[in-house]
Amino acid sequence: MPSEMLPEFFALLGIDLFLMLSLLTCLLDDRMPKALPYIYQIAALAGYGHLLISKNFFTVFGDYMRFWYCFIYLLVSLANIVAVNIYFAAVKKQWTLAKVWSGAVSFPTILISIFFVSNYSYLHGVPFPLFLQIALVVSAIIMGTSVAIFLSPEALRNRFKEEEEVRK
Amino acid sequence: MNLRGKPFKKSLKLLTLLLTSLLIASVSAGMYLSLTMTSTVKVYKSNVYFVIGSDNGTKGLEVTLDSTNTTATLTGLRAYPNASFTYTDPVRVRNNASVGTYSQLRLAPKVDPSTNAADFVYVKFLLNATIAGDRKWLNYTSNGVSWTCPTGPTTFTTTGINGGQEWPIVVYTMANATATVNNSVTISITVDVD
Repeated sequence: MPSEMLPEFFALLGIDLFLMLSLLTCLLDDRMPKALPYIYQIAALAGYGHLLISKNFFTVFGDYMRFWYCFIYLLVSLANIVAVNIYFAAVKKQWTLAKVWSGAVSFPTILISIFFVSNYSYLHGVPFPLFLQIALVVSAIIMGTSVAIFLSPEALRNRFKEEEEVRK
Repeated sequence: MNLRGKPFKKSLKLLTLLLTSLLIASVSAGMYLSLTMTSTVKVYKSNVYFVIGSDNGTKGLEVTLDSTNTTATLTGLRAYPNASFTYTDPVRVRNNASVGTYSQLRLAPKVDPSTNAADFVYVKFLLNATIAGDRKWLNYTSNGVSWTCPTGPTTFTTTGINGGQEWPIVVYTMANATATVNNSVTISITVDVD
């Protein structure tokens, strides 16, 4: 029998997303504020605090409350990913990087999160409507294909070159 | 993101972040795993259990309890032809919690009677709560051919049994006027606690 997914799984997912953000912003630190990777590390540590609280108050907090505070933490991490995307597009005007970020980071993480939320709701007797499940599968296929086509190393190199030339 | 062209300072920074990330991720995963294990089994000591009533040893009744006092077996219950017979205090349900801690109780069928329907008129169980409105009946009646049994549990008591209180389960019996002596029937019921 498969073990049931706990609400804390969303906090764990949020922690991993913050850690990923920390590493990516470190790699892109010439385009981002210097302190950002450390702030994301602290945010991940806060998520660990979430898990610690859940463990100590496991029987006191109900499933409902645990789900919501873990889910909100995941939403905050997703909002940060989208915010970085918007920062590249709207503030830095780096459209290519914004497109790459949305295709390689924003959409996959959002899709993965939706997948796990739908899985959790299914396990708790509230399955997603059929059209939403189909939409999830279709968007995953389209995203996978698009990423493979538009984010190939060759295509990216050309686009970054074009962007550099425009800047000059 | 070509790291080969990055200065040493940046590589060091990335390495540090990578190590702390690994640490946080693995500790968090370990914590989640321990949560999963925490949620598997949790056994509590029951505050609600059976107590032998004052009818034990009288009217042929013998009440035995298991080691945890959560299963009561009543043997030697009598039913007389064409006469109702009552055991007012064969066994009790006790809430051993502190005063002010209430538990809701209900009676529920477990194993229905299936034999000797021709010999009995009824066997009734009453959860004799202190407040009349909380009293619950579980009735097994016979039409001489077959038994009519409760289809589901009774509702939970509304006020519930207070800590320190004991409620008797009263048993009413009546045999058919033409019943065969020594014929018997076995009924199993449960007391659900909420």
